[in-house]
Amino acid sequence: MRPHSPARIRRRVLGASAALAGLALLVSGCAAGPSGSSEPTAGGTLVYASGDAEPTCLDPHVGGNYPQALVATQYLESLVSKDSDGEIIPWLATSWKQADDGLSWEFSLRDDVSFTDGTPFNADAVRANVAHLLDPETASSTGYLALGKVASTESVDDHTVRFNLSVPDSSLLDSLSMPWVAIQSPTAMERGKDVNCESPVGTGPFIVTDWVKQDSITLERNEDYNSPPADADHEGTAWLDEIVWRFIPDSASRYAALQGGQVDVIDNPQPSDISASAALDTISELDAPRPGAANRIELNSGKAPLDDVRVREAFIRAADVNDGIESLFFGTAKRSYSLLSSVEALGVSGEEHFTVDLDSANSLLDEAGWTERDGDGYRVKDGERLTLDFPVSTNQSIPAEQSLFEQIQATTKAAGFEVVLHPMDLSSWYGALAVNEYDLVSAPYTKVGPDVLRILFHSDSIVPAPSGYFANLSQLSDPEVDQLLTEASQVSEPDERAALYAEVQQKILGGFHVLPLYDQQNHFLVGSAVNGLRAMPTVSTPTFYDVWLTR
Amino acid sequence: MVRWIVSRALGAAFVLWAVATLIFFGLRLIPGDPAEAILGGPGSQASDEALQKVRLDYGLDQPLLVQYVQAMFRLLRGDLGTSYALKADVAALLGELFWSTLTLTVLSLVVAWAFALVLATWATRGGRLGRMVGSGMEIVAAAVPHFWLASLFILLFSTALRWLPPISTPGPLGLVLPVLTLAIPLAGFLGQVMRESLADALESPFVLSARARGESETGVRWRHAIRHAALPAISLSGWAFGSLISGAVVVETVFARPGLGRSLLNAVTIRDVPMVTGVALVSALAFVLVTIATDAVDRIADPRLRAR
Repeated sequence: MRPHSPARIRRRVLGASAALAGLALLVSGCAAGPSGSSEPTAGGTLVYASGDAEPTCLDPHVGGNYPQALVATQYLESLVSKDSDGEIIPWLATSWKQADDGLSWEFSLRDDVSFTDGTPFNADAVRANVAHLLDPETASSTGYLALGKVASTESVDDHTVRFNLSVPDSSLLDSLSMPWVAIQSPTAMERGKDVNCESPVGTGPFIVTDWVKQDSITLERNEDYNSPPADADHEGTAWLDEIVWRFIPDSASRYAALQGGQVDVIDNPQPSDISASAALDTISELDAPRPGAANRIELNSGKAPLDDVRVREAFIRAADVNDGIESLFFGTAKRSYSLLSSVEALGVSGEEHFTVDLDSANSLLDEAGWTERDGDGYRVKDGERLTLDFPVSTNQSIPAEQSLFEQIQATTKAAGFEVVLHPMDLSSWYGALAVNEYDLVSAPYTKVGPDVLRILFHSDSIVPAPSGYFANLSQLSDPEVDQLLTEASQVSEPDERAALYAEVQQKILGGFHVLPLYDQQNHFLVGSAVNGLRAMPTVSTPTFYDVWLTR
Repeated sequence: MVRWIVSRALGAAFVLWAVATLIFFGLRLIPGDPAEAILGGPGSQASDEALQKVRLDYGLDQPLLVQYVQAMFRLLRGDLGTSYALKADVAALLGELFWSTLTLTVLSLVVAWAFALVLATWATRGGRLGRMVGSGMEIVAAAVPHFWLASLFILLFSTALRWLPPISTPGPLGLVLPVLTLAIPLAGFLGQVMRESLADALESPFVLSARARGESETGVRWRHAIRHAALPAISLSGWAFGSLISGAVVVETVFARPGLGRSLLNAVTIRDVPMVTGVALVSALAFVLVTIATDAVDRIADPRLRAR
């Protein structure tokens, strides 16, 4: 190589100036932006804008959905939490012990914590919460399911509580970490459901002080706060004086309000806005996929034509989703090949089951007897068209997801499937599922830990609840799967538990019951005044305890 | 006069009864269980005991016709019931929301009238070019959908220029974009009607005689012709008010403004029957009252009607 060739010199100069520019960026970044070294300052009001439906009750024991969890994270706390590695860590409980037979758990509780109404936090308070969750008057669903195996509770002493179980529950700690079973003041709960829905009382860093329906909730700092989870950034009271929790249903207005500085944090941004905001230094992104199940299309194997595994496999081989996810979500969503969210440590990915192959889709359908095609190119058997009904909840599926379903409709047509999309509002959608009028469906499900598999795929979950709702929407009914799921939910030895969950996931993936799409998307866009925001590693709700403002 | 009032009152009562009946049966024909709305919305997986208890408490276990008769008697007593989702008295909730929506719609109506008057007088005065430009603007304004206009305004005035907030704020600034969004399409409609009747009026013999008396052009327009031109637009204002209330559903949702329209959308989604009924009745009542009022104003503006 010739030394000092012009090209080489030019490269060097370029390299040097690039390094300089980089250094300049780094320096200016330190000066302007918030960095780890700058000191938090107390004070200020933060405005949060939610695109989720406004909760009908601020007590997350009642019902139990994600919008409730989002806001309750600011004023209620749980017995345990999780750190970012997925390990259970102390919160209101300092330590715990499972009995050898797995049928009881003892929790030692903090003895220096009070609810914001002055009621002391103790074993009796925990017992009152369990009783509240299991009381039909409360009408709890999520919390009720989470405590399904708790038979009774007792106070061992003032600050030790024992949970007695009907069967061992390897997911009890996961369940107790969720905001839907957070601990509230027993005195406040006695005020009755309507009052407690308006102003629940917890031990959290903020207090609900006002709720103007259809507009906003006001949360003020708890001046006596002393119980952050073990992985929080600081101790003592929160930095913020106040949070105004607004409801702005339209995503374009929400994003415009963030850009205009009228609000500081927004949830449920559209993928195009996430992508556009990446270029702005005034807005940053918090990507916190929800735990539990990945977003997926479930194939109803409870009735024809998807009761035939060959037809299910053909559909999955024909459905080309990767390009759609890439383009419609602007690179903000990553394709999943797992039943579980990527934050679940025990999730198993089965990419090999989901390779797209139109030829094999066609021969599978031929084998299954769908040999003829009609004038429109759809396959026909015994005079019946190969039609798949796909009710789509327009409340749950964002526009990008609805477009993705249209792409699936287009790509599977090549194999001769007629996918009929039925956009519906939430009530009609649940109605269609309850009467089994669907072949394909996409339904989110959030829960901490792999036990969500039991809820979604155990044959018990095909039996509808009184409301007609059932969780096993793929209607998978396999005694072997049931057996594995039951065993896994009771085994406490970690390796054995992991192996059982891995086996059952492989079995379900290999049966072509589910087409996984991506993690349950949970993005937040954050204005530049906001520092120290993180999502709880439990159900990925943002916590404002460590947050401070630089305006 | 008395006959006129009595017939209008009877008509109004019939409209309200029809609205309440349609909503009662309509909400039960579409899928979705009201008992679930009470227990936290669709898909709440409420337990059997909870559902049974709620059905008993709210009388949802009774035959539909019995429920209907009970509901009508409650309404006759002026009892709108309790919202399933918000667990609060519907009348009290509507009381707050009504003023918010009324402010929005009345302001929009006033602004639309102002725009329409300016457009119509300008278009009739500006010769052929003015007519063409004026009618072109009217057609475009009347044709743009609310959601599109709202998005355009947010992009332009909030994101790009940063003049106005994209969401409702306590001050009057937050009202500007919602009011413009509702007023512009309406101004298009009213402007078309006004321009045609103003042009007709300017061709009438009484205008000719006014001119012959030496009345100035401005005097002709504002003292004589405009009264004629406004008549059809006044009649239309009753209808316009109704369209503003339906437009409020979109505008209140996009601009995150509390109000009847946004509540209606939420309530329909989760089958909150008392809330939907309440909003529909209040809107229908407002519509009926405004229609009666426009008829009355018509009679004042046009003496010929009083003779009938």
